[in-house]
Amino acid sequence: MTAYVERTQKQKLRDRRDAEMRLKNNRLGMNIFQISWIMAFVALVVVNWQLRFSYTQWPPEGVAPYDPLLPSVGALALLFSSVLVYRGLKSLRASRTGAFLNAWRLGIALGLIFMAIIIYEFISVSDAAMSTQYGVTFRLMTGFHFVHALVILGIMIRVYQNGDAGKYSADEHGSWAVEGAAKLWYFVTVAWMLFYVVLYWIR
Amino acid sequence: MATIAVPLGGQQERQAIEAVRRPALSEYLRWSVDHKIIGVQYGVTALLFFLIGGAMAMAIRLELLTPNLDVMVSGAAYNSMFTMHGTIMIFLFIIPMWAAYGNYVVPLQLGAKDMAFPWLNAFAYWLIPPAGVVMLLGYFVSPAEAGWTSYPPLSTLFSGDGQTLWALGAHLLGLSSIFGSINFIVTILNMRPPEMTLWRMPLLCWAVLATSIIAVMATPFLAGALTLLLLDRMTGTTFFDASGGGDVLLWQNIFWFYSHPAVYIMVLPGMGVLSEVLSIHSRKPVFGYRMVGLSSMAIAIVGFTVWAHHMFTSLQPELRIPFMITSMIIAVPTGIKMFSWLGTIWGGKIHFTSAMLFALGFMSMFVIGGITGVMLAALPFDIHVHDTYFVVSHFHFVLFGGSVFAIYAALYHWFPKVTGRMMNERLGVIHFLFTYFGFLITFFPMHIVGMLGMPRRVAVFDPAFTDMNRLISFAAFVLGFSTFIVFYNIIHSYFRGQIAGANPWRALTLEWATTSPPPVTNFEDDPIPYEDPYGYGTEAASAYLDAVDQAFDGRRPASPGGH
Repeated sequence: MTAYVERTQKQKLRDRRDAEMRLKNNRLGMNIFQISWIMAFVALVVVNWQLRFSYTQWPPEGVAPYDPLLPSVGALALLFSSVLVYRGLKSLRASRTGAFLNAWRLGIALGLIFMAIIIYEFISVSDAAMSTQYGVTFRLMTGFHFVHALVILGIMIRVYQNGDAGKYSADEHGSWAVEGAAKLWYFVTVAWMLFYVVLYWIR
Repeated sequence: MATIAVPLGGQQERQAIEAVRRPALSEYLRWSVDHKIIGVQYGVTALLFFLIGGAMAMAIRLELLTPNLDVMVSGAAYNSMFTMHGTIMIFLFIIPMWAAYGNYVVPLQLGAKDMAFPWLNAFAYWLIPPAGVVMLLGYFVSPAEAGWTSYPPLSTLFSGDGQTLWALGAHLLGLSSIFGSINFIVTILNMRPPEMTLWRMPLLCWAVLATSIIAVMATPFLAGALTLLLLDRMTGTTFFDASGGGDVLLWQNIFWFYSHPAVYIMVLPGMGVLSEVLSIHSRKPVFGYRMVGLSSMAIAIVGFTVWAHHMFTSLQPELRIPFMITSMIIAVPTGIKMFSWLGTIWGGKIHFTSAMLFALGFMSMFVIGGITGVMLAALPFDIHVHDTYFVVSHFHFVLFGGSVFAIYAALYHWFPKVTGRMMNERLGVIHFLFTYFGFLITFFPMHIVGMLGMPRRVAVFDPAFTDMNRLISFAAFVLGFSTFIVFYNIIHSYFRGQIAGANPWRALTLEWATTSPPPVTNFEDDPIPYEDPYGYGTEAASAYLDAVDQAFDGRRPASPGGH
């Protein structure tokens, strides 16, 4: 009997250690993925940068520069969305499930606003711009970012639904999915800030 | 008085090994999340692609026996042949082969039960066979013929639909490489036993860590470049077409920003293997352990600053000298490694096993490839030999003489751990001799024809080079034949090889402190690593090794009274 108790205790200890290790691995893996995949966005910045040298000026002659007003609103919406997602995660960790769900609902809504703005920006590139790399790289970069935002927003919505169904707990292991989705959304935010500056502000 | 353990009879031992340990062959054909199964899957897939790529190399050399176009139906067929040869050897043989060793050996060396993300690991492997098939499907349309570097406009305006498939396949392989590398980094950083600090980690793990850092940082650039290539080919954008405001140099910049670091992805694990094999088979500690680990990192970092040396002839002149300098700086950490290897075997008790022979072969060949590398880094010389056989010779000396020799060394070294049986040493030595001399006589004369001005990537050449090319081709056939020796050896040894036991080389790293092959969970309990992974030649080390022998094989201590 004592041998049995000892064995189950040992097993419990081992399970807890494995769970700790999984969480540690997930976090590091996520960080490495973020650092790695941001390089794909950097590669597109390099593309944009190098193609500028094909023209004497940027934007090329006869092409109107993009109006940064609406995308600035979008960038702000995305930033606020990220902050809300972060606060939602904090609330969940503090066992305030209601606050978590509210924050994420609002965060996802802001994310949708951001994406609507990006769709509008993508569509409204003028034909004059599309006949030069100024328009083509713009659509390349916004489109590339949009695909990522779409997939990750889908993950966020799924996490929100799971949260609504009460599938997450306050401890770090039980809320890893929330943390992971939030970190992917920060990634989308950082990637957009990079593109936003390059596309709208560096002439 | 110590009790004397009775050695098991060979028959009993064989039964024991068959009954409990070896996974059934059918397990290798299925989805599995066990890193040992995945490692073998990677390895066997890579070796099959090695055969395909090797057959293509033989076809290329057959064509080059005569200065005229006679074997291939057209120049385009020849172009696609060397394109697919390069692509397969790089993306489908060498890189997955290192993933094979990394998968099998790294978790064992760390005393871990598996990789950090077993599912992702399996997923990364299963991306490879479809990617290879997609690439080869090009032969049913019109195969890629722009070289493995796929420079536009060759790859956009002149190459057939096979080029599109090529880009799709390379995309998948890039993803596989990123997923695999994330897994390696997390495993190596997080899953070491508490006793094993970074500075007590086996050097293969250092090398795989450096390799993986390069892969995660550089491969997204390949993804970017391939995306643009696909868009140019399929949707009519003009990123690489100057007539539409694009820039052909854009591809070269982005592609080489990935592909130059990728050459270190292909050779750094080999350097890690060298440190393991040379130390173990000459029974001496690694000379300058810390410097070897750090030099891997230095190569990884400096490797990101040299890409434009591939574009010397097309680069803005003012950028040439900086890239020439950084390219030459790479020789410093590489030299540190070479110095360490020489210091390691100096005065050691060298066992000329097949693994050791290939490791020594690596050293001699890689030093030649390294020196021609420094020559090519020198701008005036590079412009002279640009796109000649000198370049072909250089990169085969580092990729075959380097990476493939290390792959062979690792094969002979870890085969006993994977299968529980030794490779045949006599066949191994014969294989080594054929490979070494076949290789040397194939590729060394290429330096000469290159200096004399024979351009690369041509099927028709100046008849003045005929004799040299005959010599090269015949040696290449010998080299090709040598592959069959090792394939026979693998199959023969898998079924008939001598039983290896847990630790046939008496090595101190953790992968040898379990049965061969290891059980599903790798170790029965949490293993405690020996304090110094390369501390050979001390009383304490031999006591540890005797204890390992006794624990796993019930063997008596090798030296009586030594404890």
